[in-house]
Amino acid sequence: MRLTAYADKWTVQQGETLSFHVNCDGPAEYDAELVRLVHGDTNPLGPGVKEPRVKSPANGTYAGRQQVIHSGSYALVPDAGPLRVESMTLQCWIWPTMPTKADGYWKPGPQAIMAKWSNGRGYGLFLEEDGRVSLRINDHTIVSQFPVRDRAWHFIAATYDAVSGSATLYHEPQITYALDPVPAPVEQDLGGSIEHGDIPFVISGRIDRRDSGQGGVSHQPMGWIVGDHYNGKIDSPRLCNRALTRLEIEQMKLGGAAGMDEGRSLGPSGHLGAALVAAWDFSEEISGCRIVDRGPYRLDGQLVGLPARGMTGHNWSGRETDWRRAPGEYGAIHFHDDDVDDARWDVDFSLDVPADLPSAVYAMKLTAGDDDEYYVPFFVKPPLGQFKAKIAVIMSTTDYMAYANEHLGTNAGAAELLFYRTPIMQRPNLFLTEHREYGNSHYDVHGDLSGVHMSSRLRPVLNFQPKYDSWLTQAPWQFNADLHLIDWLVEMGYEFDVITDEDVSYDGLARIEGYNVLLTGSHPEHKDGYYLDAIHAYKERGGRFMYMGADGFYWRQTFHPSYPRGAVTEIRRCESGIRPWHADPGEYHHQSDGRLGGMWRFVGRQLHSVAGTGMAAQGFDISTYYKRTVESNDPRVSWAFEGVEYDERLGDFGLVGGGAAGAELDTVDTTLGSPPHTLLVATSAGLHTDAYLLVTELFGINAAGLNGTQHPRVRADMAYHETPNGGAVFAFSSIAYCGALSHNGYENNISRITSNVLNRFMQDGPLRPPEDTAVARGRLESDPELNYQGTVGD
Amino acid sequence: MYKIPQDNAVQEEMLETVRSSVEMLRGVAGFSVVDTERPGSAIEPHGGIQDDMQLDKVLIRMRASSLDAYGGKLIIVCTKPDEEWRIARLTSVRGVAPTFVDERVFSDEQDAQAEVFRMRLEEFPSEDGMPEHFHQGYKRPGADNWGPV
Repeated sequence: MRLTAYADKWTVQQGETLSFHVNCDGPAEYDAELVRLVHGDTNPLGPGVKEPRVKSPANGTYAGRQQVIHSGSYALVPDAGPLRVESMTLQCWIWPTMPTKADGYWKPGPQAIMAKWSNGRGYGLFLEEDGRVSLRINDHTIVSQFPVRDRAWHFIAATYDAVSGSATLYHEPQITYALDPVPAPVEQDLGGSIEHGDIPFVISGRIDRRDSGQGGVSHQPMGWIVGDHYNGKIDSPRLCNRALTRLEIEQMKLGGAAGMDEGRSLGPSGHLGAALVAAWDFSEEISGCRIVDRGPYRLDGQLVGLPARGMTGHNWSGRETDWRRAPGEYGAIHFHDDDVDDARWDVDFSLDVPADLPSAVYAMKLTAGDDDEYYVPFFVKPPLGQFKAKIAVIMSTTDYMAYANEHLGTNAGAAELLFYRTPIMQRPNLFLTEHREYGNSHYDVHGDLSGVHMSSRLRPVLNFQPKYDSWLTQAPWQFNADLHLIDWLVEMGYEFDVITDEDVSYDGLARIEGYNVLLTGSHPEHKDGYYLDAIHAYKERGGRFMYMGADGFYWRQTFHPSYPRGAVTEIRRCESGIRPWHADPGEYHHQSDGRLGGMWRFVGRQLHSVAGTGMAAQGFDISTYYKRTVESNDPRVSWAFEGVEYDERLGDFGLVGGGAAGAELDTVDTTLGSPPHTLLVATSAGLHTDAYLLVTELFGINAAGLNGTQHPRVRADMAYHETPNGGAVFAFSSIAYCGALSHNGYENNISRITSNVLNRFMQDGPLRPPEDTAVARGRLESDPELNYQGTVGD
Repeated sequence: MYKIPQDNAVQEEMLETVRSSVEMLRGVAGFSVVDTERPGSAIEPHGGIQDDMQLDKVLIRMRASSLDAYGGKLIIVCTKPDEEWRIARLTSVRGVAPTFVDERVFSDEQDAQAEVFRMRLEEFPSEDGMPEHFHQGYKRPGADNWGPV
């Protein structure tokens, strides 16, 4: 893929400007054309790709140029006089996660723990390629006796005395096992003066070069390109301006306590305080992008790449698991060589979005010759407070970010067990296996196998494009799957606005209160609390909500406060839910806001309470259909089935798995938040294959019988319930659902039911339920024969 | 772990079941080793993994293998959307791209599914995962990233 690109925003208001950042690696030029995205599924059995062209001054031919991503996180402290030490002591704790690298690993070489060193000049602490700690003074290297152990705390320190020329390196594991060799300090006479340049002091890397070429300054802060990225945690780094004794080094672990004149000295003692250059405290400003120096020179640094913070330190006791309650035990930052917060590419061209450009899904389509093509999608919305239709579709931007550039199909070999067939990879999947610098998704683990907490949209996202089939479904997924819904709305002649998760999260009720009905996408799984608050308020005030998919409202997401609106999201995968990785103990709280992460269910917001149904099972081989239940005949909801016979198979067709009920499935459960008056109107119970399995959070004891042909909760339930003040919610409860809408030229029972619901929900004024339907309902009353029989085993 | 039958007749029978699924599911955006109510439909799955315990267990053992098992886990690569597919092998090293196993080009994505199964029957030993197969990986299952890495 020689063309890749991104826009500075995914959602833009009419009248605003959007900038495009393009990498064109090879062709001398490329063409850009604005298109409206209607349908992106290339399946020849479906309607095919629909992308009407839109006239725009931005359309045209642009000069191509290569732009690259410098991934890897680090802290950068600008050059300063005190950092140009003659003699020195460096010390910190490390918890390395990749002391050695596999042959062929994409970022080979040593790892710099902290260094003001480049091209044989300067000083720094490193991990050499064999996993041993080293001190580098100019072109001299002293190496520890033994390599470090991965995922274990080690205290390391190094001194250099410029007068005597003597250097000493300490490597002291915090835990030793019975048969571990006993490490001893390594001493060596080096002689000479430390040579200094104007390079910054770097933590978790070292300066490779200064990029003075085109775009160098924008590529990295201050134009510095950092190399030799480190993988792992660093805690309590210190720099002193003389060679400390081992006892003084021990004392210096106390760091740079603020001086109080007559109260106490700066640093561990007056004597030692006088030697202190910098003592960085990573427990400060955990939600920010700075590292704070508690030393006398205020040598604060800038964090680049957004590493993981709120990480347990070498002294974590486990007595507190929230970094806000014990910050002193959270003095570690976990750096990764594949962290990406912002590609920082230069702008290639801009688009002034006309005030009269209809709200819709758009993309800037980039092409170079016949072989190179890349789409940069974005969503155009009305100005805040203006509602240009009765219907709005909420595009799941938080979810597109969660899945951004995922590598599961190629990283996690046994992901094949999920979908019961051999995965079919697309060109973007292969590109990402080589181009690791494009970063990860919330479904990936970093190269060091730690979970990916952060995801940025300020980079090309290769699976956020039309025409993309996911290996997971062998069909569109997330963004491209949501175009199934957009296409149906267009073809059925509905007028609608397009808004996004980001808009609902940041603008709250003001973004949605004027619409009669809101539709979600096929898979609204990842949401922040502001989004849920806004939807809740909307429903309570008479709004209507159509939940067009499944696995909704599952994970707690936050937007990082130190980046532009909606640019970076965070997740922590804690003790429950379907998790491709687990957060480590003590690291369940988001660095973005300090609050507990994980499933919304386990912080008190039941999934089922948002739209009436909640995630119950998943499987990705093939899909099936629904059948109506007797509750579909209830006058409260029977209007939804007008024109549909009771015995019809609902959705025994579709572009996702060949049926409307598939991929991920939600059920009604009044004990898990489904309102007690929910009507379960259709279900796929008993119709799935054994590739479908119950989700982990629905059972406490692993036992046989969790699969599609055996477990009664492996099913999708269509459901309806009323909300106060004339509102209502309809849940379709399957990710595959929208893929069935276009079948038979849009004339099918799924299309019919959906339009019956939408036509009713888009009406002005409150919806009135039939009379005499207001009765007291308990949560278990719906099936007393089942629920009051007693416990299992009676 | 479950043994993969080495008997030619048994293997051929399993392969025939997979090939039959390929025929049934041609045109379906998805795949499973099952029969359905008619060709081109995913509806009313039966047979295959739903009924054949031996085949299901063999398939699960193959699917659960690690990325670098037997020269690299086999995948299918779409080389021309909706028209051409090839078979490749994953590597277990980040930054090293999958490599195509040969020059064959499939004109239907489901056909490649059957061929991958045939190749795995050839490559996988009958037995694995028993005490006599111990290696250091028994101590380090790797990341919990949906299976072995």
